[in-house]
Amino acid sequence: MIVIAHGIVGRSDLPIPAWLFGWAAALVLVVSFVALAVLWPQPRLQDGGFRALPTGLSRVLTSRVVEVICGAIGVGLLFLVVYSGLSGLQVATANFAPNFVFVVFWVGLVPVSALLGDVFRAFNPWRALGRTVAWISQTAAREPLPAPLTYPERLGYLPAAVGLFAFTALELVSSSGSEPENVAIATLVYSAVTFVAMALYGVEAWVSRGEAFSVYFGLFARLSPWVRRGGRLGLRKPLSGLAAFEALPGSALVLAVMIGTVTFDGAGEGPVWTRISPRLADAFRSLGLSPEKALEAAFFVGLCLGVALIYGFYRLGVGGAASVGGGFSPRQLSRTFVHTLVPIATAYVMAHYLTFLLYQGQAMRFLVSNPLGRDGTDIFGTAGQSINYGVIGATSAWYYQVALVVAGHVAALILAHDRALVTYDQPRLAVRSQYWMLVVMVGFTSLALWLLAQSNT
Amino acid sequence: MSNRARAGLVALAVVVVAVAFVALRPGDSGNKSDDTGQKTSQTESTGAKGPTATAPSAPAPPLDVTLKGGAPVGGVKSLKVKKGDMVRLQVRTDEKVDQLHLHGYDIEKEARASKPANFAFKASIEGVFELESHTAEHAGRESLMARLVVEPR
Repeated sequence: MIVIAHGIVGRSDLPIPAWLFGWAAALVLVVSFVALAVLWPQPRLQDGGFRALPTGLSRVLTSRVVEVICGAIGVGLLFLVVYSGLSGLQVATANFAPNFVFVVFWVGLVPVSALLGDVFRAFNPWRALGRTVAWISQTAAREPLPAPLTYPERLGYLPAAVGLFAFTALELVSSSGSEPENVAIATLVYSAVTFVAMALYGVEAWVSRGEAFSVYFGLFARLSPWVRRGGRLGLRKPLSGLAAFEALPGSALVLAVMIGTVTFDGAGEGPVWTRISPRLADAFRSLGLSPEKALEAAFFVGLCLGVALIYGFYRLGVGGAASVGGGFSPRQLSRTFVHTLVPIATAYVMAHYLTFLLYQGQAMRFLVSNPLGRDGTDIFGTAGQSINYGVIGATSAWYYQVALVVAGHVAALILAHDRALVTYDQPRLAVRSQYWMLVVMVGFTSLALWLLAQSNT
Repeated sequence: MSNRARAGLVALAVVVVAVAFVALRPGDSGNKSDDTGQKTSQTESTGAKGPTATAPSAPAPPLDVTLKGGAPVGGVKSLKVKKGDMVRLQVRTDEKVDQLHLHGYDIEKEARASKPANFAFKASIEGVFELESHTAEHAGRESLMARLVVEPR
């Protein structure tokens, strides 16, 4: 498929109608100004509060047995992806690998993380394998292993940003990125890189900063009230997990990749990009690229532009906020407020991929019975099932999408407001800095609505 | 401002927005066009004739797409129908043979220079669906030939 945007998509959304777009935009503005007027004058989110679960339940859920089982499931799924990708039918829609990676894993784990917390950490196959290898070599060596290298401070989340960008490029730029074999190969390459990095810097250090998917799902998990603290599970105040986020170099870039790639995916289906991309592709073709490579190059440029647009706009807002005084550099403010982009990123992902998840996720029903897409295989007796396109209509999808975008906007405003109160010692500066942050939020939210309104026309 | 006044303001805003939303929801009477800028034109056909045109399974006018040199004449068109319509779609080509695939509905047909492909089906799924030419795809050309847009009633 040369028009790329997930080779596994069968149906895309209708654009939201003009009246709903108008109302949503108006709602966003009303909410923003009401928020400025009435939000609390004292910070509330900066200390998380923690209510532990009953000890027994907590002990079971964090026990070694559960840990090993979850890790084993993760490793099993990793192997299944590689195996079915390499030896299954080379049709994206009929093979377990692309559907699992692009639908269940990449999109499906986002709402799961946002609701239930850092589930991926428990199932992370790379972490499980890394820890197993470490444990085995530790046991075999009978003496402490040499300490890993110190993770370079200035790298921060940059490797994760690169990893996420590469993944989305595979999904959205490469014309053959959703072919089962390529998904399997990409998985193997990523696993190899991850194991090398873990060997160098230690499993936990790499998982918490460099491993793209741990960072990605870990950010969404901060929205969840569920948290593990000191070996105990418990509940924290909503949004306080994000307020406790420690920004490192590259944090803003990670968020820009998260939002910018969805932006490109949304815009890529719309009239603006469909007008630009052939010309861009022609330009690349005149440089000597084949038609297919030229189109990929054009899409790559588009993906970079999407990320650059989001990053640039955020830095612009932060620069504005720095100009109101208080003695902060734009770089400092960028790290201070970067966590406020997480609910916005969540809204982008969920609104854009809602129906994709609801429809294409159903493909798992028949793919678990026939992961390789071979005739006659039917492990659980569900291989004959198909996707029911009646689960959600276009109209209700619109409401959910708009509700998600507005909810993300409100959460971002609350986080930014709360952070401004602790950042600035003068309330006047806090408020003035928030005008700039408000511009950023309204900009991102309007862009999200615009993307919903213009896709596929 | 007291806490009660704050809560009241927020509640008031929510009520105002909710009431206005419900009041304005049915149909696009054109009164929101200022807010919507460039979006207005493309959605007019979505909402404008919404509530009235609802004869179930009314036969929609036949749609047709003509391919010349492996590309759709007049560019990639969006073919609009309403959910429940009986869709008849004819695809002509000047290629010897063109393998066509309508996504979502997953209908595959062959068009030949001598004989156009005729799709006939009930538009039971809302959404946007791509009509692709696998022949163009295999030749490394743009494969999107048209889009079928099925709007809610």
